[in-house]
Amino acid sequence: MLLREVEYARPASVDDAIRLLSEHPNARALAGGQTLVNVMKARAAAPDILVDLNRLDDLRSVGVTPDGGLELGAMATYTQLVGSPEVHSTRPIVAEVASQIADVQVRNRGTIGGNVCSADPTNHFLPLMVALDATMTIAGVDGQRTVPAEQFFLGVYFTAAGPGELLTRITIPPARRGDGFAAVPIGADGTCIVNAAATLEEGGARIAIGCVAATPVRATEMESVLSGADVSDERISEAARGLGASLDPPSDVHASADYRRHLAEVCAVRAVRHAAGRS
Amino acid sequence: MTETTVAPERTETEAPQRGYIGVNVPRKEDKRLVQGEGLFVDDVKRHGMAYVHFVRSPYAHARIASVDVSKAEALDGVYGTLTGDEVAELTDPFFQIAPPPGGHVKDYALAVGRVRHVGEPVVAVAARTRELARDAADLVEVEYEPLDPIVDPERAADPDAPQLHDDVPSNTIWNGHFDYGDYDGALAAADKVIRIKRLHFDRFSSTPLETSGAVVEYNRGTGQWTLHCNNQFPGFAIIMMAPALRTGMDKLRFVSQDVGGGFGNKICTHPQLVALCLLSRKLKRACQWTEWRTEQHMANSHGNERVFLDVEVPVTDDGLMLGFKARMIDDCGAYTRYEPLGCIIWAQVTPGAYRWRNVRVEFTQVCTNKSPCGPNRGYSRMQHLWFTERVMDVVADELKLDRVAVRKKNYIRADEMPYETPNGCIYDSGDYALCLDKALELVDYESIEERRREAESRGKLLGVGIGSTLDSGTNNFGQATLVNPELQYSVNNEVASVKLDIFGEIVVTLGTTPQGQGHETTAAQIVADILGVTPDDVNVRPGHDSYWNSHAGFSGTYASQFAVTGLGAVKGATEMLADQIRTLAGAVLGGVPPEQIELAEGFARIKGNPEAALPFMACGAIVNANNAVLPLELRDITLNCRYVYVPPHQLPDKERKYGNLTLTYATQIHACVVEVDEETGSYEIVDYGAVDDCGVRINPQIVEGQVHGATAQALGAATHETFAYDEQGNLLTPNFYDYHVPHALDMPPLKTGYIESPSPFTPLGAKGMGEGGGAGLSAVCSALQDALRPVGRPIVYDSCNPYWRVWEMLRDPAKTRENVEVETR
Amino acid sequence: METAPVDSAFVSVQVNGESYEREVDARRLLVHFIRDDLDLTGTHVGCDTGNCGACTILLDGEAVKSCMLLAIQADGAEITTVEGLTHDGELTALQQAFSDRHALQCGYCTPGMLISATYLLEHNEAPTEAEIRKAIQGNICRCTGYVNIVEAIQAAASGEVKRD
Repeated sequence: MLLREVEYARPASVDDAIRLLSEHPNARALAGGQTLVNVMKARAAAPDILVDLNRLDDLRSVGVTPDGGLELGAMATYTQLVGSPEVHSTRPIVAEVASQIADVQVRNRGTIGGNVCSADPTNHFLPLMVALDATMTIAGVDGQRTVPAEQFFLGVYFTAAGPGELLTRITIPPARRGDGFAAVPIGADGTCIVNAAATLEEGGARIAIGCVAATPVRATEMESVLSGADVSDERISEAARGLGASLDPPSDVHASADYRRHLAEVCAVRAVRHAAGRS
Repeated sequence: MTETTVAPERTETEAPQRGYIGVNVPRKEDKRLVQGEGLFVDDVKRHGMAYVHFVRSPYAHARIASVDVSKAEALDGVYGTLTGDEVAELTDPFFQIAPPPGGHVKDYALAVGRVRHVGEPVVAVAARTRELARDAADLVEVEYEPLDPIVDPERAADPDAPQLHDDVPSNTIWNGHFDYGDYDGALAAADKVIRIKRLHFDRFSSTPLETSGAVVEYNRGTGQWTLHCNNQFPGFAIIMMAPALRTGMDKLRFVSQDVGGGFGNKICTHPQLVALCLLSRKLKRACQWTEWRTEQHMANSHGNERVFLDVEVPVTDDGLMLGFKARMIDDCGAYTRYEPLGCIIWAQVTPGAYRWRNVRVEFTQVCTNKSPCGPNRGYSRMQHLWFTERVMDVVADELKLDRVAVRKKNYIRADEMPYETPNGCIYDSGDYALCLDKALELVDYESIEERRREAESRGKLLGVGIGSTLDSGTNNFGQATLVNPELQYSVNNEVASVKLDIFGEIVVTLGTTPQGQGHETTAAQIVADILGVTPDDVNVRPGHDSYWNSHAGFSGTYASQFAVTGLGAVKGATEMLADQIRTLAGAVLGGVPPEQIELAEGFARIKGNPEAALPFMACGAIVNANNAVLPLELRDITLNCRYVYVPPHQLPDKERKYGNLTLTYATQIHACVVEVDEETGSYEIVDYGAVDDCGVRINPQIVEGQVHGATAQALGAATHETFAYDEQGNLLTPNFYDYHVPHALDMPPLKTGYIESPSPFTPLGAKGMGEGGGAGLSAVCSALQDALRPVGRPIVYDSCNPYWRVWEMLRDPAKTRENVEVETR
Repeated sequence: METAPVDSAFVSVQVNGESYEREVDARRLLVHFIRDDLDLTGTHVGCDTGNCGACTILLDGEAVKSCMLLAIQADGAEITTVEGLTHDGELTALQQAFSDRHALQCGYCTPGMLISATYLLEHNEAPTEAEIRKAIQGNICRCTGYVNIVEAIQAAASGEVKRD
C-alpha cells in the first residue's frame, strides 16, 4: 500500500549505479518498478536505497549482434520490444511475448531486465529466456560476467545477479528453426497458471515450463524425444507424455498440482507446435 | 385466515405525460466526472486532518492477549490511537437484527478481546500522513493466542466445531422452516423425483473500484459529527451507529457527493465509521480513512456463500415441476451486520420464475471465521435464483427434456400476472417466455447445432445456457419480522424535496446516495415533465446530505428501488409544487381557479390564453421575497415541497412466513454461448444475449448501462471471482491478481433486448432493475453443463467455475454424477 | 540531482501545462503526490497492486500507472492528468463521446480510462474493436462491462460525436 522509508539515488552512469549498489548492501536497482514498487508497497521488500536506472539511456538499446542475434539492454521496455524492427527480424517471439505482459501502461514502463531480475515464477519471460538460451551479462565493480539464463534464475525473486551487481544486457542467439510460446492465464490476460516456451534447433529442441516451480523447468525428456527432424503433431504429443509426472508443481487457489502437471504437457505441446509451425 | 395476500392496489394516479420519460437524456453527472471534477470521499480534505490506518488481525481466530500502542504513539507525526478496550468502554455493541441466539453476537467498531477473521480491525492509528499512519501500524504490538478456526459452513454446526461467539451455540445465527403449499402431496403425485445432494454458491463481491472511506469531523461545541463518506445506506448506518455511540441520530450528519460504485458493499461500513467518530473526538481533529484494495477484499462485506443440500424435485412425466425441497446453509462470516436478513430476502423469489407451488426449505445461517457478509448486488435472491436455474437444467438434462421447452412449461405465464407465489408474494407483470424467445434469438439459437459441430472441428466444446432471474425491488421491510418477530420495521420509504427558489430556479434534493445510477438525470426528467420545463432547467443536488432533511428511515441507494421509491418521491413532491404554483398563479392572474392554469415553458399560464402567464421566476420571488402580493389565505404556500413515498405494503404473517415482500419484479432472461477448450478446461464466452424487462424505462440508456454492468459482474462471478479461503482462514484472493475481475478483453460483446411490462403497482410503471438477479451466473453454468455434455455428462454444482473446476469435470465426469439421482415412481 | 542517496528532494514537474515544485519524501508515490500534494484529485486510486489503472496519467506522453512510480522519479517530467484534457472548457471528442454513449456510471475509473483512450488515439487514429479492448485492458471498470466504453472510443475515433 505504502512504502517504508527509503532513500533514492539517481546515478549518472552505469558505473555510478554499480558503485552505489556495491557500496550499500541493502540497495536495490530500480528498473521499471512495475514489480519492485508493488512488492515494496506490500512491504514484502524494504531496501534502504533505490538506485534508479531510468535515466541510463545506455541500458535501453536494442540491437542485432554481428552473428545475427539480439542484444537487449536491461532497461529496454516491453513497449520497445513490441515495436522493435530488430526484434521482429531476429526473434519475433520476444515481441509477441512482450505484448502479452500485463497492459499498455505496464509495458510502457516495465523492462526486460527488471522482469528477469524480479524472477516472478508466474512471468512469461522466465521460460522464454531459458528456451531461447539467452545469456545474461552481469556487471559488478570487478568487471562483468555472463550467466546462461538457465543458471540465472535461482528462486522466487532470487537470481544470479548478487548484491552489488547489475544486470546490464541480455543476449539472445540468432534465430533457430522456430520459436513458440503457449500459456494458460486466468481469463484473457490474468495471472498465468502455466506457460511454456520452445525453440526448435537443428537436431534438437529447448523447452522450458513456467509456473510449475520456483524457477523455469527444462523439459529435458521431451527435448530428447524431439532431437530428430520429426516434429509432427503426433511426435510432439508423444514427446510430452510423462512430462507432467516428472514435475512437482505447487497447488494454489488457481490450480492443483495435478492440473498444473496436465497443463504443463498441453502448453509444452502447444509451444513446440507453435515453433514447428514457423520452422 | 385468508389464503391469499392482499395485492397492492393498482396505482390510480395518472402517470405524467411521456415527455422526457423514455428519452436518453444525457446525464447531468457526466460533465464533472469526465473532467476529473467529481468529488469522491478521498478527495475531501480538512485542515490538520489525520490519516487513519487500521491494524488488522493476521489470524482467523485468536484471543487478544495484549495490545501495546506505546511505540506507535511515540513515533513523530502520530496523533494517537484507538484500541478495542477504549471502544468497549465508549460504545455499546451494535444492535443485532437476529433474535437470540444469533442476537447474542457482540459486534464493536474494533475487535474486543478476540478476533474472528483475518483482516478484522484491532487498533486504529492516526498520523499526519498516510505513510506515517502505515508506519505506526507496524509499531503496534498485539499479542495473539491463536484459536482453531472454523471455515467450512457445512461443518460450522458440528459439535466439535470451534465456537465463534459466546452464547451462540453451534455457530447457528438463525434457523427457520419454510413450508408452502403441500410438499408431501406433490411428492406423492410425482412421476419422477430428482435428487441433488449438493449445490454450492461461492463467496464473492462486486468489489467497487472506489473502496470504502470517510472523513469524520467532530464539532465539540455541539457534540455533532459530520461524516463525509461513501456509505450507501445512511438511514441504516445512523440507526446502527447512534445507539452504539450513545448519542442522538441528529448528531450524525452524513454527507456524500460522488460515490465510486457501491453494489451493496458500502452498506455495512458503520463499524469503521464509529471508530473514526471516536478518534476524531479523542484527537480533536478531522480523521480520514480510505480502505486499501487488499483490505476491501479481506474485510469488507462479502456476498453470502450458500450451500443447498438434499435437494429434491418432484416432476410429472410431462416435465412439470411441482416444487422442491432443500436444506440451505448460508454462511454469513464472522459477524452479523445486515444479517440475518438474507435468511428471508431470498423468499422474495421463492419459486424463481416458475410455477412451483409446493416448497419446503430448512434454512440455517451459520457464522464462520471469514469476512462478514452483507448485501451484494442481487443480495440473497441471486443465490436462490441460481439454485432454481441449476435445478431446472439438472432436471431437464437428467430427464432428457428440452431445456427451452421445460422452462416454458414451468414459467409463470404472462396471462397469470399479477401472480401470487406460494409464499404470498405478488409478481406484478412480465412475460418470461417472450423474453426467452428474444434472448435465444439474440444468440441465434437456431444455428447452435451447426456451431457446435464447427467448434468441435477446432477442438472446442460449444454449449448454450439460459439464465432466468427476477430482480425484486422496493422491499417490504416488514419481512424483517419474519426473522425476528420483535422487530418494529415495516414497509419502506424514500423522500424528495422540490422547491422553486427566489430567482425561479427549480431545486431538487433526494434522499438517495447514488453511485453511478444517474439519479440527478432521471429525477430531472420526471420534474421537467410535470413542471413543463426541460431537464436542463432542473437543478438536482448531487449526492446526499442528511441535514437537507430530505431523507427517511430507509433512505439510501440499494435494492433496485430508485425508479420506484426515489422517483415516486420526486413525482409526489413535484406534483405538490405544481399544485402550489397553479394556486398561486391563479390568484395573481386575477382569481383564476388552479385547474385552469397550465405549466409550460417556465410559465404558469391560463389555459387557452398564453398571454396571461406568470413566469416561474415571479412565483419564486413572490413567495420568497414579496409576500405582500399574495392574499393572506395563500400565505401557507411555500413552493418548497417535501414528499415521502411509501409503498402500499402490509405486514406479512409472521407465523406462516407469508406475505408480499416486495412491490415489483423486473425480469432478466439471458442466453449465453461458451466454448470450452477440451484440453485445458479454459473457456470463453463467445456470444451473449440479455433481455430485460423493467417496466417503463425512464432513461433507456441508463437502463442498458445497468444491464451491461450487472451482466459483467455476473460473468465475473461465474468464471473467476471467488473469495477462497484456506483451512486456516486465510483469504487466498486478496487482490486483483488473484481475484480476477473481468477486463475489457474478458468481456464478450453483449447483445441486449427488452420488453416493457409496466408495473401496475408503482407510481411510474417502472420497476427498478439495478441488481439484475445474476442471470449471467446461471447462464454461464447452464452453458458449461451443456458444452461438457459429450464428455460424460458432468454436472455443474458450483456457481463459480474457474478453469480448474472445469478441468476436474472433464477429467472425472462420473464423480460429479454421483451427486444426482433420478427416482421413477 | 546529486548521485548520493537522498531521503527527500525538490521535485519540479509540469502538470497540465502548469509548473509545480514541491519537496517530497523519496517514498511518496507519484499518485499521492498528484492527489495530496498538488490537489489534483481527478486521478484516482482503485487498488494497491497496480492492476486497476484508475491512476493512469501521461508521463512525458506515455500512459503509465502513477501508483507504480515514485514522485521523485518524475522530476522534470511533463504530466497530463484528466484535468488537463479539456482545453478552454471544451470537452475533447473522447470526453464528449463517453457522455453521449453512457460510457461511465460511477465515474471512478473514467479518468484513467480517458487517459488510456487518449493515448491510444494518439498512436492509432482508427483502432479496431480488438485494439481498443487491448488498449484498455489495464483499466478496470466495475460498472459498465466496457460495452459503452468501447463504443465511445470508436465513436470518438470516427468523429461520430454529438456536440452541444
